[in-house]
Amino acid sequence: MIEDDFYRTSSQYRLWSFTTASLQAQRATTNAVASDRVRAAIRRAQEARRSATSSATGTPVPEVDGSTPNPAKGDEKAIECLTPEEEQQTVSYYCEQIIQLGEAYKPPLPTIVRATAIQYLRRFYLTNSPMTYHPKQIMPCALFLATKTDNYYMSLRQFADGVPGDTTAEDIIAPEFLVMQSLRFTFDVRHPFRGLEGGIMELQALAAGQGPPAPHLAHTHTHTAESLQRALHALPPPPNAPSTSTSSSSSSSSVTDRIARAHHHTREILKSAAQITDVYFLFTPAQIWLAALRLADPPLAGYYLDTKLGGGGGPAQPSGEATPENILAVLRPKLLRTLADCAAMLQAYKPLASDPERMKTLRRIIGKKLYHCQNPEKVHLGGAAQKRIPAAALAAAATTTTTGGVDSGASESEMERLAKKRKLETAAEHSGSKDIFGGELVMQRTKER
Amino acid sequence: MAVSPLIPNPASHAAKTTDATRESEVNSAERSPYKPNMKYSSHVTNEREITEQLNDDVRHKYIKDKRLGEGTYAVVFLGHLRTDPSSFVAIKKIKVNAEYKDGLSMDAIREVKYLQELSHPNIIALHDVFSSKDQNLNLVLEYLPRGDLEMLIKDTNIHYGVADIKAWMGMLARGVWFCHENFILHRDIKPNNLLIAADGEVKLADFGLARSFADPYLNMTHQVITRWYRPPELLFGARQYSGVVDIWSMGMVFAELLLRVPFVAGNTDLDQITKICEAFGTPNEDNWPGVTKLPNYLPADPNHVVPLQGRDFFFRQFPTAGPVGADLLMSMCTLDPKKRNTACRVLQHGWWTTEPKPTDKKNLPRKIDGIKKMGADLTRRGGEIEDSTFKNAARQLNFTAVRD
Repeated sequence: MIEDDFYRTSSQYRLWSFTTASLQAQRATTNAVASDRVRAAIRRAQEARRSATSSATGTPVPEVDGSTPNPAKGDEKAIECLTPEEEQQTVSYYCEQIIQLGEAYKPPLPTIVRATAIQYLRRFYLTNSPMTYHPKQIMPCALFLATKTDNYYMSLRQFADGVPGDTTAEDIIAPEFLVMQSLRFTFDVRHPFRGLEGGIMELQALAAGQGPPAPHLAHTHTHTAESLQRALHALPPPPNAPSTSTSSSSSSSSVTDRIARAHHHTREILKSAAQITDVYFLFTPAQIWLAALRLADPPLAGYYLDTKLGGGGGPAQPSGEATPENILAVLRPKLLRTLADCAAMLQAYKPLASDPERMKTLRRIIGKKLYHCQNPEKVHLGGAAQKRIPAAALAAAATTTTTGGVDSGASESEMERLAKKRKLETAAEHSGSKDIFGGELVMQRTKER
Repeated sequence: MAVSPLIPNPASHAAKTTDATRESEVNSAERSPYKPNMKYSSHVTNEREITEQLNDDVRHKYIKDKRLGEGTYAVVFLGHLRTDPSSFVAIKKIKVNAEYKDGLSMDAIREVKYLQELSHPNIIALHDVFSSKDQNLNLVLEYLPRGDLEMLIKDTNIHYGVADIKAWMGMLARGVWFCHENFILHRDIKPNNLLIAADGEVKLADFGLARSFADPYLNMTHQVITRWYRPPELLFGARQYSGVVDIWSMGMVFAELLLRVPFVAGNTDLDQITKICEAFGTPNEDNWPGVTKLPNYLPADPNHVVPLQGRDFFFRQFPTAGPVGADLLMSMCTLDPKKRNTACRVLQHGWWTTEPKPTDKKNLPRKIDGIKKMGADLTRRGGEIEDSTFKNAARQLNFTAVRD
């Protein structure tokens, strides 16, 4: 049984790996379903409000006072929903927030916990839309769940203390079941970090002349520990090398330093770009760290691959014999193409927070657009009254409102309350407040730094 | 399905035919819903969220029958596939712990997390997970009606020989090897966590204490593994350890199968250390470099120093195993964890291929009614022993200490 076979039994491969097309299709479906429901739910809310108004007064009066928006006007105005791209940007923003929120704990939450939480959030939003469940409610829950699944135990109370704002422990834990269900009860995330550590240890050994050649290449005698060591020391410097190493003395310490620098740089890519892009859905952990190493130090990554793939001599012999050389010759271009694709995706990533233009757009998406197309029937998710919200009960509530007639007074008043709240908040928004969306917690901190 | 490459397991294919139909149904339903037929959710119903629909589909596949057992932690039901009343499953419903305010308990999370990743003939299969209306977690597990190894060891009416032990130990070794190949430590191997399927296959169960290997230099808790099966490094408080903690437990199961009583059964952790030293020798810097640096290491009473036991001790103590078997047992019970055999080395040992050959699993001694026992085993929390004196021996995980 080879490593690939092990990986194929993992839930990450079975449930959470996609092709570019299937990933896109999945998101489009989720978006379409959610948009339909949001429109229906908002219409129902308006209906409810109108009937509440008319039953209260006894006569069909369109407006009582300023607190109730004109329903006719609301009907005319089409409900504008988020596009799949806007949803994705919104989710990415909250993924970046996980990194920052994790940093705020003392001591900071381990990288692996944050990375797992980000992948939970990204997996969650493959079948759920931010319009249905606002990421600011789901994000802390995903992070807390990750502390549990990744053996970094802290109590909910302790965790909640680290979450800025007035988020209570109950708010955080309320969507846990919903999150777990959306993760389809698979909690294991295969990260590229451990593979990177192994690769770096191998490179360090090779630099010291202690790296035996790969067993399938040993018979060619072109690879020996000494020849591998010489080749490593003779590598051209990385194109982005700092100018300090211009002396270019191929002393063993400079190679060690180079490996250490590549290690650091690769890790940074894995902590940021690899988390926020789609690479976990599209590539394996090994492909991800190798692609990141290629960005950090291309000659070093090429050298490392050669120690496994044997230098890529000539094309496959047409005889088609299954010699190790032939197999590697077929494998090599395929692997390099995959790594190039993955590297391109990693390289294209720019942190949202570093880009004021995109932040502005995002603020419009989350602050205004998402605000108006938030499914009103799901907003009470983190409500203080409820402890753990059964997903089933939520759905049942939605069903009763829909199947009509049985509208409970409670849900009507809930709609009223929401409408009022929305009105108030809209006013606040216009008066220039910046805290219109959940992003405040991290945005302010970033500014302070 | 993964089978260890090291030991051929010819019988496993035949055995799987009984499971095959059930599994293919479970898997095809489980693996496909995302991919092309995603649209069904928008057509079928416009009221349910996609994930709820998926959950309902899974839940609907099974019918719960009678209750098999109930513990503080879970209730186990007999169940079957709606489409095939003869395909049994065990449905383990995790109870919501009212005292635990932090969401789903760690035991349940661990069990679900690791069983989702492990698919092997010697590890209990997790067919599905779904939530029921009251927001309880339900694990659909493989139906293992023939009890566990503890039952066979204790039942004096059952006679078994070294060929049977070889078969059971072989299945255990392959299951443990597979966990370790997947970087998972079981941390609670003992006879009543080794359940037996209808066809005689031994299955490693209860992953409530399992975890993935920690990254180098990261600490783990030493408060794991039921005491009698706990290796000396954990008793000495080691915070960094490897898969060989499970190998020690395997060695203790091996010894217990041979003797039909637990081999080193301490009443307290301290007593356990004493008994281990009496049995295998007193650890010191010569036979176990670094042992004196372990946090809970206690220097031995100079008047009671037992020399490290050699091969002949094991020959004498375990004559039924034969010299090669005794050698394997010794390699599993080496005090120094660095010198103890890994799961892979255990599988490469010569004992498996020396006479007598392991018993074919359909001919293994069996108890007829093990269903109740399965119910009891599956409702127990990891680390629990029925005997109330030892209750929760390993359960009090000191989580805060894990992180320093």
